[in-house]
Amino acid sequence: MASLLSVSSLVLVCLTTMLIAFHGLRLSRTTSDFYVASRTVRPWWNASAIGGEYLSAASFLGVAGLIVLSGQSGLWFPIGYTAGYLMLLLFVAAPLRRSRAYTIPDFAQIRFEGSPMLRKLTTYLVVVICWLYIVPQMHGAALTLSIATGFPSWVGPVIVAAVVCVTVLSGGMRSVTFVQAFQYWFKLAALVIPTIFLLGRAIPEHSSSGHAQALYAQLESANAMNLYETVSIILALLFGTLGLPHVLVRFYTNPTGQAARTTTVIVLCLLSAFYLLPTTLGVLGLLYTPELGATNETDATILLLPSRLFEGFLGDALTAIVVGGAFAAFLSTTSGLVVSLAGALSQEFFSGTVRGFRISTVLATALPVLIAVVTNSLALAGAIGNVFAFTASTICPLLLLGIWWRSLTARGAIAGLLAGGISCGLSLMIGTFLPQEDEIWIHLLRQPAAWSVPLAFLVMIFVSRSTKRSVPANVERVMALLHVPDWRAKF
Amino acid sequence: MEQIPQDSSRQEPPTPGRFAEQRPQRVRVQAPQDASLTVSPARPEHTAEEFYVRQLIRSQLRLACAVAAGLLALLVGISALLVFWPVFEDIRLLGLPLPWWVLGIGMYPLIIVAGMLYNRAAERNEERYRSISRG
Repeated sequence: MASLLSVSSLVLVCLTTMLIAFHGLRLSRTTSDFYVASRTVRPWWNASAIGGEYLSAASFLGVAGLIVLSGQSGLWFPIGYTAGYLMLLLFVAAPLRRSRAYTIPDFAQIRFEGSPMLRKLTTYLVVVICWLYIVPQMHGAALTLSIATGFPSWVGPVIVAAVVCVTVLSGGMRSVTFVQAFQYWFKLAALVIPTIFLLGRAIPEHSSSGHAQALYAQLESANAMNLYETVSIILALLFGTLGLPHVLVRFYTNPTGQAARTTTVIVLCLLSAFYLLPTTLGVLGLLYTPELGATNETDATILLLPSRLFEGFLGDALTAIVVGGAFAAFLSTTSGLVVSLAGALSQEFFSGTVRGFRISTVLATALPVLIAVVTNSLALAGAIGNVFAFTASTICPLLLLGIWWRSLTARGAIAGLLAGGISCGLSLMIGTFLPQEDEIWIHLLRQPAAWSVPLAFLVMIFVSRSTKRSVPANVERVMALLHVPDWRAKF
Repeated sequence: MEQIPQDSSRQEPPTPGRFAEQRPQRVRVQAPQDASLTVSPARPEHTAEEFYVRQLIRSQLRLACAVAAGLLALLVGISALLVFWPVFEDIRLLGLPLPWWVLGIGMYPLIIVAGMLYNRAAERNEERYRSISRG
């Protein structure tokens, strides 16, 4: 009974997603439709779509899981995800929209047209980042499906990959925008409904002082992060959002730079509203599923909570709603990433044709499924935090300095990307093999953002300073293009 | 808040012969060929124009850095405060320690307000640039 409800809710989400995608198929005709929805999506639509795309497995399942795992320290993750969007608004949203670029490699080319090398390097970075980000989504799908229905763990990733392939292939970005916008509201509802029911049961139970004492002891017992880890994660999340390829591509669907800023403010509101829910559920998880903290399966908190509090049909129905929402999260984030990834691959290897985009889409989804099936999942929010650290050490300095500092040179950018990418990537890799002990060098390796982000910036600035002569000749024009409002109307 | 979407729709040029009023206007943009990504190396004709653009960029950067520095100081400050001065843990509100309320709910309105204020200030900077460079 329980698994039947969950399976039907899963099928419903997949079918609705594909239906909206097919609806979009009739609207999209040109190559640019496939990439950026012809740049005419309204702020509210676009903001919902950004919210839908951004709220991944890490947000939907991972935040509550982290709160159960590390208590109060887990609260920093949703704050960082939201504040990262503020950073995006401050430094990137409007200039990037005005840049006429479709992807980060395009931006690199506009800023440094004489350096195909930099374009190639950013393409490879985008590919790596997208794959790193898709794999946790697949892990989330495997976990959700095996907990809710008992299916083997490869079924979830295969379903996600198949649905994403169909949606992206059928309509590209335009239908993806509709799909994403729908999925934000669906994910919100899928958490609001269980939260209301669970709170309705939990609050009367815990209003007596004895229970309050138990809650307090529970909050205390979770193992918190130390100050260095906290600051490093804050930095990674704040600066990492700037460089996420699937988030950036969304800004090209705004009609103007000002509209891009309006959209971002709406996104801040949507994200804030959403994150209250996994936070609440995480606190409830500390009360009702504290044993998950010891088993390293904290990501299942939200999935298990309804059946802990309610027996029979109500518990099963609430679980089914959560499963549907979780799959909406996997589908929306993965399809956004696949569009960016396929865009980058097809530009690089198939000269930007629609056929190349389709081949790239299949490539972009198949590999992560394989990786997800053969590897074990980390804590979802932690795995995503690592991807943020990596983008913060690579794409973020390129964008920030590229947009705001006219003395940046192509060589400086390449050196900084390599320094940040290699140092951050290596230390994350070594860090996963190290035991979880409380020593400073282990923390430095496991949470590298606090030193690798400044390192990347410093190398970029230093190398650019020493190659002053190769500042592009058209830098003034490019800067004007990025920063002057309504460029098109004037020229 | 209500007015924002209308603002942006106002900026769209009117389309003659639009058959469905609610359907957004389609702009046909070529797939990015190499040629469309080049920005001509020629300098702008007026050096005054260049100066105004520099001023605009500088004021926007100063604004963005001020907000970002404030945000960063706030977040790092709070995390340090909680580590070095754990007395806040003992203040409880409805059974939960105060830091849980501050981190779980309190930060989001601050982030949204910061974003709205920035948005208004950035638009004011652009408005100033527009009036100077035309005049």
